[in-house]
Amino acid sequence: MKCDDARKTLPLFLYGELSFEDEERLEIHLDECDGCRAALGREKAMFKSLDSAEMIPSAALLADCRAELRRRLANVEPDRANFWDKIRQGFTIHFHFAPGLAQVGGALAMLLIGFYGAHMAPASFPGSVRQAGLVEPPATSRVRYVEPVGGGKVQIVVDETTQRVLSGTIDDQSIQRLLLTAAKDPSDAGLRVESVNLLKNQPQSAEVRSALLYAVQHDSNAGVRLKALDGLKDFADDPETRQTLTQVLLKDDCPGVRTQVIDLLIQHHADNMVPVLQEVMGKEQNGYIRMRCQRALRDMNASVETY
Amino acid sequence: MAQAAVKMDEPELIRAAQRGDQRAFEQLVRLYDQNVLRLAMNLLRSPEDANDIYQEAFLRVYKNLHTFRFDCSFHTWLYRIVTNLCLDALRKRRVRREEDTVVETSEGFLDRMDTVEESRADGDPQRQLMSGQLRVRIREVLDGLTPRERAVFEMRHYQGLRLRAIGDMLGTSEEAAKNCLFRATQKMRAALGDFV
Repeated sequence: MKCDDARKTLPLFLYGELSFEDEERLEIHLDECDGCRAALGREKAMFKSLDSAEMIPSAALLADCRAELRRRLANVEPDRANFWDKIRQGFTIHFHFAPGLAQVGGALAMLLIGFYGAHMAPASFPGSVRQAGLVEPPATSRVRYVEPVGGGKVQIVVDETTQRVLSGTIDDQSIQRLLLTAAKDPSDAGLRVESVNLLKNQPQSAEVRSALLYAVQHDSNAGVRLKALDGLKDFADDPETRQTLTQVLLKDDCPGVRTQVIDLLIQHHADNMVPVLQEVMGKEQNGYIRMRCQRALRDMNASVETY
Repeated sequence: MAQAAVKMDEPELIRAAQRGDQRAFEQLVRLYDQNVLRLAMNLLRSPEDANDIYQEAFLRVYKNLHTFRFDCSFHTWLYRIVTNLCLDALRKRRVRREEDTVVETSEGFLDRMDTVEESRADGDPQRQLMSGQLRVRIREVLDGLTPRERAVFEMRHYQGLRLRAIGDMLGTSEEAAKNCLFRATQKMRAALGDFV
């Protein structure tokens, strides 16, 4: 592989979009070519600066969008299926039934077909079908397990979940418990943001504070982590909170979170922050965060670096 | 108000929403809406425009959900709608030659969008931390890309989608998406060479 060809493929290599053979050829070339290895380093640096240019919509914007969509949906009717859609649906097997009049029409059609079909079929027609006793599953049911049980029968285990709407104040224990569960729902970051946003007004509860600390440390979404930090700002002098925040400062990959953590930690000029800030100075790439640390260390009359 | 969370997998949610279950539709929206908003925000670089795309995309999904036949993934179907809306908006913007959001002041470069974000409770500090000049240069390069190059770059770089999926979403081949991405990164390299 020539250097020109190698350098053209570097971006696709970093994106993991080269074929196995092309990747193999490039890796062999990189092993032998200092110039292309340096070019790869430059390409990685460019990717990193592009990463930092990403715009993350704020949680408030997301909440506004959701609220507006909810309002607009209230005034919109989904388009109805046209005549041909209905005909096509009639020949499609679904495990649910059409709503309203279509359901009644479909049921009548099925009855007529069954009635005339049964009368027209010879009495000795093989494989006559017995009633299956199938009941329409509720919208939130899920087949968990199926098993043949002999005699041509099947046993099916169905999980059914029912929806409930609960309302109450945030200091209501049952509401708080649900919010604490929702704040850890791994599948819905929006739900976590909203739950943490509500919980952060109750940080005096030990359980809530522990949930906020967990979110700051472990939530995969930076928006949730920022919300949780917001709820912890009155506890910046609490030893457990400070310990967690220190770990977050050293490990979190989001500069926005790290900045907010520094703001919380340097509110109280504790001497034990000096080595932490010095460690941050040693490894931090972000210029703004380095500047904040530097200023905090100077305010504490500490040296900027360890010698 | 707290609502009990109900767990359904995606096909179940889609079928329930097709039957008119509003809660199921809302859950379906929440599976994807953060990424939809992020994509629109990065492509259009304006919270207001991103909100417009968000609304229009999910309203179209709502109105046309009955036509979804599971021929492709719901993700692909939704992103087709979103990327088409974004591409249209970008093309219109090119025609209108909108005023740049970044202006040079006596104190250096100022992004007027920062002001918009900061007035909100949840302004993203990450954006505020970036070096002004580099950000302006990246913005210029992104604006210089064609709408298609831009869409492919955003989806690959920021959303982490595979080129094959991007091709499906844009109604083109994986190879064409790869060429778009290649051209986009070449332009970036040429423009950002002095900075990184």
